Amino acid sequence: MRSMADRRKLHLTPWTAALIAILVMLAVLFLMPTIGVLLSSIKTTRDIALGDLWSIPGQLFLGNYAEVLSNPAVHRYFVNTLIVTVPATTASIGLGVLAGYVFAKLPFRGAGILFLAIVAGMFFPPQVILVPLFRLFNGIGLIDTLWPIFLVHTALGIPICTLLMRNFFATVPNALREAAILEGASEWQVLTRVAIPLGLPALAVLATLQFTWIWNDFLWPLIFTQSDEKRTIMIGIVNLKGQYTVAWGVQGALSLIASLPTLVIFLFFQRYFIKGMTMGAVKG
Amino acid sequence: MERENRFWRVVLLFLPLSVFAVFVVWPLFSSFWYSFTDWNGFDPNYAFVGLDNYARIWTDRLFFGAIINTALWMAAAILLPTLLGLALALLLDRQLRGARIFKTIFYLPICLSAIVVGQIWTWIYQPDWGLLNAIISFVAGEPFTHAWLARPGSALWSVIVAWSWQQTGLSMVIYLAGLTAIPSDLLEVCDIEGASPWQRIRRVVVPLLIPSTIVVIALSVINSLKGFDILYIMTGGGPFHSSDTLAMHMYNESFKKYLMGYGSAISVVLFLIALVIIGFYFRQLKRIDEIYG
Amino acid sequence: MARVTLENIRKSFGNVEVIRDVSLDIDRGEFMVFVGPSGCGKSTMLRLISGLEDVTGGTIRIGGRDVTGVAPSRRRLAMVFQSYALFPHLDVAGNIGFGLSLARTPAGEIERRVRDVAERLGIADLLTRMPRQLSGGERQRVAIGRAIIRDPEVFLFDEPLSNLDAALRVRMRLEIARLHKALDGVTMIYVTHDQTEAMTLADRIAVINQGRIEQVGSPMELYHHPANTFVAGFIGAPAMNFLDGNVDDTGAVTFAGTTIMPAQPVSHRGSATIGVRPESLRLASTGEADFVARLDHIEPLGAETLLHFDTPLTVRLNEEVPASEGDTLGLVVDRTRIHVFPP
Repeated sequence: MRSMADRRKLHLTPWTAALIAILVMLAVLFLMPTIGVLLSSIKTTRDIALGDLWSIPGQLFLGNYAEVLSNPAVHRYFVNTLIVTVPATTASIGLGVLAGYVFAKLPFRGAGILFLAIVAGMFFPPQVILVPLFRLFNGIGLIDTLWPIFLVHTALGIPICTLLMRNFFATVPNALREAAILEGASEWQVLTRVAIPLGLPALAVLATLQFTWIWNDFLWPLIFTQSDEKRTIMIGIVNLKGQYTVAWGVQGALSLIASLPTLVIFLFFQRYFIKGMTMGAVKG
Repeated sequence: MERENRFWRVVLLFLPLSVFAVFVVWPLFSSFWYSFTDWNGFDPNYAFVGLDNYARIWTDRLFFGAIINTALWMAAAILLPTLLGLALALLLDRQLRGARIFKTIFYLPICLSAIVVGQIWTWIYQPDWGLLNAIISFVAGEPFTHAWLARPGSALWSVIVAWSWQQTGLSMVIYLAGLTAIPSDLLEVCDIEGASPWQRIRRVVVPLLIPSTIVVIALSVINSLKGFDILYIMTGGGPFHSSDTLAMHMYNESFKKYLMGYGSAISVVLFLIALVIIGFYFRQLKRIDEIYG
Repeated sequence: MARVTLENIRKSFGNVEVIRDVSLDIDRGEFMVFVGPSGCGKSTMLRLISGLEDVTGGTIRIGGRDVTGVAPSRRRLAMVFQSYALFPHLDVAGNIGFGLSLARTPAGEIERRVRDVAERLGIADLLTRMPRQLSGGERQRVAIGRAIIRDPEVFLFDEPLSNLDAALRVRMRLEIARLHKALDGVTMIYVTHDQTEAMTLADRIAVINQGRIEQVGSPMELYHHPANTFVAGFIGAPAMNFLDGNVDDTGAVTFAGTTIMPAQPVSHRGSATIGVRPESLRLASTGEADFVARLDHIEPLGAETLLHFDTPLTVRLNEEVPASEGDTLGLVVDRTRIHVFPP
């Protein structure tokens, strides 16, 4: 009958009150930047220019959102980002599942070193492989297409996906695999019928992480695309900065819309998100 | 059985390993090769120039500026989010109504892209109506219009603050996970032995969080080495290269000046720095593992 | 010095009542064991006494002083945890001296007292080791060392042996018994789910079930005079046999198709549960059988043999038997060892 109910229960004391006050202050401080953008996005450019950015607006002005949503360039950016993010997320997780399964359930001599080498890939600054990749894709004529972004994100996702899947598969009892094999299942069937269904939570963790990272990425589209037709949303924000130089409200609306998919994923799958961040980190 | 296992190992590993080899491992090694050439990014004909690019590093004033900025950037990026994250985790690690909401608030920035974060903070630092100057003017009672991002003295530090705002949530979450992993009977020993709240944190909780600290610091180092996007959008390395980091400098040399050979040499230096840090990290992890299990 | 008194203790977690009105007196220097199945509330009782949990109702006194709302560290007690709860970042000396260093005791005195305690426990040569480098038994000793150095009046043990292997458990059990003798006048309260530990260590045992004390008494009292079927079934191994039966007006007991007059008079009349310990039965010589039963299974344990009958009934014998499974055998009940439990 171990209960931790009392472990750190708080009773309302001056100390607790001070603690809550500190937390509230910090929370306000942390929220301020986000709220600022939100406020600017619902104000007219004139209001902002008059130095009225940070006050609560008397009325809701949705013109900035209308402006952003009716801009065909924004549509294109969104579509391009989706075309890259969804397949790259899926592919990197798929490859991570394959590799993670082998490292967890079919170990071999040298597997430890190989695994470590793959995982180390997580830690290197991407600038290190920038120039050779640029030359590679330039050579095969893929510059200014979405292909290189997809391929590079798939490859760079392999370390984290392999790490998390291996750690997850390691928790699946070997006896399950052996029982299935005794029943006549092939290794592929063990993977698809036993391991993957059990691994759904881990897949959810990876999906949230990978989607967020790839969606938010800036460097690779910056290097591999040139024409406006092939740009992704994060580059789009920067490009449109020129078009809307003084239209801060429009820029704010654009930033929020661009962050919406990751914000939604974060708010709905926060548990998985946090788990992925800490799992990947702690067992690194 | 072993024959089947061998077959499946090859089948299952083939795709992941080849993709990883082609797009990560091979480019890594060719970076070394390009760092010995004068390739300009387009010309199919380029020459092997030996150690010229590395010799050039020694005379590149901007490179040393970038090294110093990278060191500053990394030091601050380690200290600020780590300490703040630890403090937040210690404050939040208790049964508190609404603790979840606080956690979400502190953690939220991590799901924003560096570009959006940069954008937000550019507005905060805006000289005429930005939030920061507005607050300072209000407190001081007189107009204050410091151009935070446009002055060499404050540009890098302003970006560091924005960066810390985004990264603090990550270290907080790792510390919170570390705190829940502390066995409750160790804390009960503190109760029985009569440790004060401060002694309990100082003598027990913080030492037991050393594994988490190693992870937090390693992640901060690695993320800050990669830190490029936020600088790109907030300062572009300026003004007058006062906020150039190695990653930024490498980008400028390679893709602005099209000195890809020289850019590769800079990236090799970046790689070696990362290698030293990762080596150190794995050594620490192993040592920590021996003590904490 | 320190007598521990519980008066009408209650404890609830939310709506769940885990301790229901427990009162108990533990004498100074007594070795009291709380025993019961897992989830019965025995550990919670210990945590209430230690102050790690607050009582929902009732009073706790230690040495006559009301300590109900007092912080754990001011109750003059020490606790040994099931997991040992050693700090992984401190060496053995650091762990034993932890409390002293919190109280800002001078380094020299800490060192002297730590060494003194370590010598008494035979771990003086381990002082600079880290907990990870210690065996289970050594960790156990360090945990005990950290408890003794506080010079407590009450010693609390929370299942201290359950993480050890069988052989080590027997050895540590003896050491704890010795420790109790050596620490003259220190009250010990010991929680376990293992009835053997309870029987061998305790001056008195409290059998706990569903948050209540079923019975308190010396080990042999509980063995010979269990108050109810729960205690009867919990104390003694293998467990007592229970059979449906009846007590007639003369006090004769009918069960398993036989009627027997117990040596001690029985006050209860009517239907009852009849308890017979496996060691209170023996195989009959010709003609003296109280009843016959078919032998299902034999478990030879070496020094003793367990016979399982289809009644169902277990018999424990101190010798090997020539019978084989499937045989029908006559059994005799020890007249002095028949337990009658009213329904």
